[in-house]
Amino acid sequence: MLHKLQSKIVILLVLVYFIFLNDFTYCQSTNSNNLFSPENRLRFGNSLYIENDYLRAANEFKEYLKINFNDTVQFKFANCFFKIGRFQEAADNLKSLFFSSSLSEEAKLLYYESIFFHKDIKSFRELFSQKKYYPLKYDFVIERMNSILLLYDDSTLPAPNLLFKSFPDTVQSQLNNFYLRKKFPQNKSAVTAALLSTIVPGAGKIYTGEIGDGITAFFTTLLSAYLAYDNFKSDHQFKGWLFTGLAAFFYGGSIYGSAASAQIYNAALRFNLDKEIKLFFEQRNYFLPEIDY
Amino acid sequence: MKLKIFVPFIVLFSVNTSSAQNLKSQFDLANNLFKENHFFDAITEYKRLLFFDSAKYYLADAYYKIGECYKAGTKFDDAIKYFSLAEINSIDVQKIFDCKIQIIRNNILRRTTDRALQLCEKTFNDERFNIKRDTVNYWRGWAYIFADDFESAALHFAKINHNHELKILCEQTDNAKLSVTFAKVISYILPGSGSIYSGNFFSGLLSLTWNVFAGYLTINSFLQNRIFDGFVSGELLWLRFYRGSIQNAEKFTIEKNLDISNKALRYLQNEYKGIKP
Repeated sequence: MLHKLQSKIVILLVLVYFIFLNDFTYCQSTNSNNLFSPENRLRFGNSLYIENDYLRAANEFKEYLKINFNDTVQFKFANCFFKIGRFQEAADNLKSLFFSSSLSEEAKLLYYESIFFHKDIKSFRELFSQKKYYPLKYDFVIERMNSILLLYDDSTLPAPNLLFKSFPDTVQSQLNNFYLRKKFPQNKSAVTAALLSTIVPGAGKIYTGEIGDGITAFFTTLLSAYLAYDNFKSDHQFKGWLFTGLAAFFYGGSIYGSAASAQIYNAALRFNLDKEIKLFFEQRNYFLPEIDY
Repeated sequence: MKLKIFVPFIVLFSVNTSSAQNLKSQFDLANNLFKENHFFDAITEYKRLLFFDSAKYYLADAYYKIGECYKAGTKFDDAIKYFSLAEINSIDVQKIFDCKIQIIRNNILRRTTDRALQLCEKTFNDERFNIKRDTVNYWRGWAYIFADDFESAALHFAKINHNHELKILCEQTDNAKLSVTFAKVISYILPGSGSIYSGNFFSGLLSLTWNVFAGYLTINSFLQNRIFDGFVSGELLWLRFYRGSIQNAEKFTIEKNLDISNKALRYLQNEYKGIKP
């Protein structure tokens, strides 16, 4: 009897060993034994999402959502598209969360963000003016995004106190600076530059800030003209005409170059300001709230 | 009674076998996708395998395959990351060597030649791979080919075999290349000759003509005691053409050498039957 009991205990111990040590992990990890079951797809999708492999995560969430609806998964699914820059798809997939979901406010915010980053200014303005799908909880964030778009755009700017009211005090002076430079750009006139170079070769270039080029244009034109005059005076017709051609080329080039230089100056002014504004907001993540989705 | 005792064992064994079978099927599925060149999907399935393989049985193989997928998709940085992971998780010396070679090959392809050569040196000096030194030399040669140094490449292929096909090709390519210094020097002596040397006859003759014409105008001015005129003509005309002929000689020779290198690379890409990076 005792011997029988002993052998049973031994078998039991071996069984326990088998369970805990002999690849028990297999059973644990693939408990449903189907790697493509919705639950396993969700687990795998979540791990990909954490690894920032959003495209693959989106595929897993999509398969999961075909069978089960879960607002968190739906939100993550849309956020995957947002993260990989497919903003239109992100916006489309957020719509189902706008009503009767605990994530509706966040979904609406992400929807606005998608339109904002998609640079669909027209749609953003329409939504903003009609207060459509408007997340009241993040009212100030949407206002900021609208102000940023106005600053990016070339349309008429409203007064700075209205435009920047939703931004923190610490950046108000910088924003006012951008506003003034955007509204009253210090452009150079192409006509003035050309006229100046007509009177004094290279003066137009100096007017547009290209001092070195201006001085060079002045001296090369002057030198060519002098050489043309000197060669004609010495009866060297060929060289006289050669330097006359050169002088005319430098003179014409100086006038044309000055007008072009003014246009380049204006384009660079605008380009640099836009770049500066973009960088300013990019560095501050467009003043968007830090939400850990 | 005895049968009853074995029932739990049989159940557990069958569950284990089934799980292992599932992972094996998953590995096969990923391999099939890889074979069909569906690299994106193959990576997904290898990653799924890695996620569910908590026993880490397929760890090294799956990482290696993911590396191959990324390499096929020309994502060399990601490929190197996964080959490194495969190397870390491999026990087999042959597998470790394969991973190292793959990392070298990816470095060659992404043109980080210095890194590729550094890794070749490290692998070459590793005693575990003493018998595989020819393979390391082979990839050293390829690293030099991609760095446009056919002379060094030929030296490394010669270490494998003096009649190695790639050694002969590299030597031929190196010999066919022109000397940039020589082209510049002859252009200093006779303007336009460097361009002619690099095969641009028309440009060379045109450059020579312009130089003769500008030189005539300059010298003529000095002969007529028009010193200022002579200096201006010399600076604005003659020197401009003279410098231009030297610059052209350099530019044309570099372009010609690039053509020769590209021809060799095209041959390697389309005709060469051996292993390529």
